[in-house]
Amino acid sequence: MATTVISARGIEFTIDAVDYDPQTTSVLLVNEPTITTYQTLDGKAYKHIDDQWTLNVELLADWGAASSLFESMWNLALNTPNTTVEVVLQTASGASWTADVFPVFPSAGGTAPDAQTDTWTMLVDGVPAITIS
Amino acid sequence: MPSSIEIDVRDVLKTALSGISASVYSSPPEAVIPPACVIVPDAVYLETVTVGSGAIRVKINFVITAAVAYNNTAGALDGLEKLIISILTALPLGYVVGDVQRPTIQSVGASNLLIADLSVSTFYTQT
Repeated sequence: MATTVISARGIEFTIDAVDYDPQTTSVLLVNEPTITTYQTLDGKAYKHIDDQWTLNVELLADWGAASSLFESMWNLALNTPNTTVEVVLQTASGASWTADVFPVFPSAGGTAPDAQTDTWTMLVDGVPAITIS
Repeated sequence: MPSSIEIDVRDVLKTALSGISASVYSSPPEAVIPPACVIVPDAVYLETVTVGSGAIRVKINFVITAAVAYNNTAGALDGLEKLIISILTALPLGYVVGDVQRPTIQSVGASNLLIADLSVSTFYTQT
């Protein structure tokens, strides 16, 4: 079997149907499971009882730009903080994930002399849906 | 007409710097007439920093080489410092400005130049 390489170049990434690729330097859909451990007479027993998914996004800030993604996310967090928005993460190799995330307020400001960047940690509502073509 | 780094970045940067009292070159020239600033590629020159392949987007790293005639040490250094400050003042928004390296003396033809390199970077999207 040939070696498969999937790089971040092959990622297509939208939030609320808006393309975030131009500003995104990293995007990760991460699971943090809750696993309870029981000490039994026969040794340890494990029970996977919950999952919390998080979308971690690192971006270059674009405050003030036309159709600013940062301003769009700010307005979502301001006006509809309890309403999820759909995220679609698709790889060129054919797998795609759909998740509903809660908007976050982007940070403002930066550190000289670098480009202004931000990291968004977005809570996922439920479990992402995976589609493999 | 498709965009290009030459037209949309280097020439734009050259135009932005054209107000300073120096010859401005958007690429390494055959002969430098001091005082001058020359836009040259840095190492690494082009970096891919964003995800996706829908459009080609790269971070471009340049070195702006500031050069003045090296006639006497104090006067040349003062001229170089003033030239660097004027370059920093003229740089357009959207540029990340790095450090200025230690000045060195270089012989170009029959003349000596005192030069220093300023690192800058910006982002470019191929359309």
